[in-house]
Amino acid sequence: MPLSHSAATPPSLKLDTETHKFDQKKLIKDMSSDPLKKRKTKVIRNDGGTPETKRLRGDGDQDVRTYNEEVELESRDPEQDYTLYKNTCEALATLMGEIQELKASGAKEGSVEVETKRRQGCSHFITLKKLNRLSHMRLKKARDQTHEAKQKVDVLHLQLQNLLYEVMHLQKEIGKCLEFKSQHEEIELVSVDEFFKDAPAEISRPHLTKDDPHQLTLARLDWELEQRKRLAEQYKSSLCTKEKILKGIELKKEYLSSLQPGLQAIMQASLPVQEYLSMPFERVQKQAEVARHLPPPLYVLLVQASAYGQACDKNLSVSINGDVDEAKALSRPPEDSQDDESDSDAEEEQQNTKRRRGTVGVQLDDKRKEMLKRHPLSLCIDLKCKDGSVLHLFFYYLMNLNILTVKAKVSASADLSGAISAGELLNPESLLNCLYASDDGQETPNPTNRYQFDKVGITTFADYVSELGHAYIWVQKLGGLQFSSDTPQVEGVHSSLSASHMESTIKLLRGRLLARLALHKQFSSLEHNIVPVSTECQHLFPAKVVSRLARWTMMSYEDFLELGFVQHVVNAGLVRETDLFFMATVERGTARLQAAVVLNPRYPEITPLFSLSLLWKGERSGRTDDNLRALESEVNVFRSELQGPRPGLQLLTNQIQRLCVCLDVYLETESQVCDGSEGPIEFPREKMCLRSVRGPNRLKPFKYNHPQGFFSHR
Amino acid sequence: MGPIELLHMSVFSQSFSPCGRFLAAGNNYGEIAVFSLSAALSPDATDASQKPVLTFSAHEGPVFSLLSTDMHLLSAGNGEISAWSWAELGKKNPKAVWTKRPEYKSSLEIPEINHMIINSRDNSLVVGGGDNNIHIMDMETGTFKSVLQGHTDYIHCLSLREREGEILSGAEDGAVRMWDWRMGRSVHCVEIYKYKECARPQYGKWISCLATDSDWMLCGGGPALSLWHLRSMSPTSIFSLSGSQREAVFHQDLIYAVGEGPHVSHCLLGGSVKAQIPCTPSSLNTLALNLGTTEHRVMTVAGSSNQIDVFTNFSYRAFSLSF
Repeated sequence: MPLSHSAATPPSLKLDTETHKFDQKKLIKDMSSDPLKKRKTKVIRNDGGTPETKRLRGDGDQDVRTYNEEVELESRDPEQDYTLYKNTCEALATLMGEIQELKASGAKEGSVEVETKRRQGCSHFITLKKLNRLSHMRLKKARDQTHEAKQKVDVLHLQLQNLLYEVMHLQKEIGKCLEFKSQHEEIELVSVDEFFKDAPAEISRPHLTKDDPHQLTLARLDWELEQRKRLAEQYKSSLCTKEKILKGIELKKEYLSSLQPGLQAIMQASLPVQEYLSMPFERVQKQAEVARHLPPPLYVLLVQASAYGQACDKNLSVSINGDVDEAKALSRPPEDSQDDESDSDAEEEQQNTKRRRGTVGVQLDDKRKEMLKRHPLSLCIDLKCKDGSVLHLFFYYLMNLNILTVKAKVSASADLSGAISAGELLNPESLLNCLYASDDGQETPNPTNRYQFDKVGITTFADYVSELGHAYIWVQKLGGLQFSSDTPQVEGVHSSLSASHMESTIKLLRGRLLARLALHKQFSSLEHNIVPVSTECQHLFPAKVVSRLARWTMMSYEDFLELGFVQHVVNAGLVRETDLFFMATVERGTARLQAAVVLNPRYPEITPLFSLSLLWKGERSGRTDDNLRALESEVNVFRSELQGPRPGLQLLTNQIQRLCVCLDVYLETESQVCDGSEGPIEFPREKMCLRSVRGPNRLKPFKYNHPQGFFSHR
Repeated sequence: MGPIELLHMSVFSQSFSPCGRFLAAGNNYGEIAVFSLSAALSPDATDASQKPVLTFSAHEGPVFSLLSTDMHLLSAGNGEISAWSWAELGKKNPKAVWTKRPEYKSSLEIPEINHMIINSRDNSLVVGGGDNNIHIMDMETGTFKSVLQGHTDYIHCLSLREREGEILSGAEDGAVRMWDWRMGRSVHCVEIYKYKECARPQYGKWISCLATDSDWMLCGGGPALSLWHLRSMSPTSIFSLSGSQREAVFHQDLIYAVGEGPHVSHCLLGGSVKAQIPCTPSSLNTLALNLGTTEHRVMTVAGSSNQIDVFTNFSYRAFSLSF
């Protein structure tokens, strides 16, 4: 701005220079007046002293004649200085130009004009120097002022920070106070309306509390305290009354128990009367009492079996065995006895107590025992047959596996010690095998058991069957337990399931017992080589049968499998380990027919299967001789002809008898077919046959026609 | 049909349908099963395709003989012949088109029919069986027009020499008789068991298989299987096969024979046994070749089992059809 100003105003230059000149003169006068002083101050300033110290020193050194450049500085206007500076510069430039001109025009060194001009130039330089110094001082001063102001601002800022912090702290304190929770807030107080209604005036003090919520709360708390005190007193008095009543009850109980022996004596006395009148009230009652402690499946079985017994089968009786006290202990609390969970809880508890003692092996053994534990109560169902023999069925409940098992026992009316081969027939282990097809009770029907077994290291349930009894599927059904293979969880106990299976199962059980007893009887005569043929079945066979049963023995499964001539039956999958195996030998003359018999446990529903091997002029079997094969089918296939009166209990003996008859036919026709040139015919033809051979494979006539008494082909 | 019945089943007869895609088989319970060969032989055959597509009860007694004509399946039971339409069987509709009985004299037992053949020269059905006689039925009218008498025991098998107009029959009495069907009388009678080379007295004298090919005849049974030259009436080759043979056929310079024993015997005309191919049944009753079509050229054999073995290559058993 000042620069532009100077450029814009060249006409005023002269005037400016004029003032300038004046200033210059004054300045020069100032400077020349005391050049020493000025130098001295300069030195002092260079020593680092402040203007004050310099002044103080100056005061001390020279009293009046002081020159203070700083004071001068304050009195000067920087704007003016600037203008002065510009003017000086211009003047200097002009002077220089004039000297140049003079020199160019040939003026001599040291001529007056040049000297004058040089002097003027020197004064101008001095002015410039002065101005320079002044500007430096001004700058210094401005800096100091800025610094001072900055310090002031800093102090103020610090103050502000402190104040802000204080504010924050106070706010926090206020927040804390606001958040404070009094314990009285947790107390449930009666509502305000109720309080005013119920509380007496001296507590509620409505005139105070109506408007002041704090007072109101205090009053309500007072009222609460008052009320609680009152209730506590009431509680105490109630306790007293209860005590009194209890005492009364005790007294009455004592009185009642004193009555017990007398009543029992009366009951005892009435027993003979009950029995005499055949009204087993007491027994039924006792059973019902005990039944309360039965596990649910056994209870269902009890109810359904006794119901069925009463409705349809007078020869069926049910009883409960076992330790009632233990069952009671087990089902404590007694109301929860029907609950499966209590069982598992008890189990866990017992396991816990066991875990504390013993080594790992003992522990696992204990666990196994615990897993296979039976309920202390068991059911016994007795099925009486017409001939007086009884089938005892003992049903057990395995609490931790949630399955039922059964053991069977037969007490026969007659002596059954006779037959050796019949030993297996009434063996309690196998008596009930396959009551329904392929239900052998060796595996647990509850799919969850497998995982339980894995835990305690039981490989298969079959190892424990002899100890625990068989877990047949029908037993589970009678107990209302249903295990479906796709949903492993147990769906509770269904009485309807039990009811739906009861009749058919009881019938099967009875049928099984009858069949086994009948077989037992037949076996004892078979062992004496007599084939018993009842009068109803006489018409099936000709009067004269020459072939005789020579041997009837029992066989094991392994022995049976080793026989050569039964492989086709084995391969056809018609032999199971649960079957019974026998070997019958039929003889006539030199011919010996061996028949391996597979007796399914479901006999007579399933026909016994015969496989034949004939030892006569070499060995032949059903595989090598079509006629023996036909003989096998004659015995095995035509069950309807052979079973006799229902339920077909004479099937096996009739089959054996037919075997004898057919062997006669076989041998007699065989000797006739072969040329009998060598010596006398061993088996003379006695049976009447229409044709001795027929058809492409030249079969012999094995079919007996009853009234006419001849043999024909099928 | 229970497992025990299956165990004791025997298959006695087989016949391929005229189209060659089906096989009918008759068993000892009087049932006929129809199998689909095209399904069983297809590359994506399953176990189910080895089961019959249709099983029906045809007769009371065993079905000893089955025979296919252009239209019908003829089955022989106890003394009766029934015809079933192949078309209807294909629709799983077993209903007899007709049932005929030859006139039998004996009344006590109905004689069985062991073999039937078609005489295409005069479109007649030749039937041999339990009454020792051969009955000839006119297929057009359905009447039995003549009876050939001469055998003294029941007839096992029949064969036809078309060019010579001769019927051959083999019987339990051990004789092979040649009949002129136009004159209705026996022209020749060969008692095979009397020839020392063939006789096997330990078995017996019956003739249970018979096959002819121009001047050659194959017969066996109690006597050993033997190849005869008919013009000279003399045995040329004897095949040393154990057991009695029940069916034998000529096929492409080879003789296939089945009988007692679980194998199919391949014999050369010269008299040697080339191979014995094992199969499932313990003894075999019937052998059939499906030569009508090129597509399903198989040999099937069946016997004392519910299984019918199928040979696609004649030298080993491919699989079994089963009742």
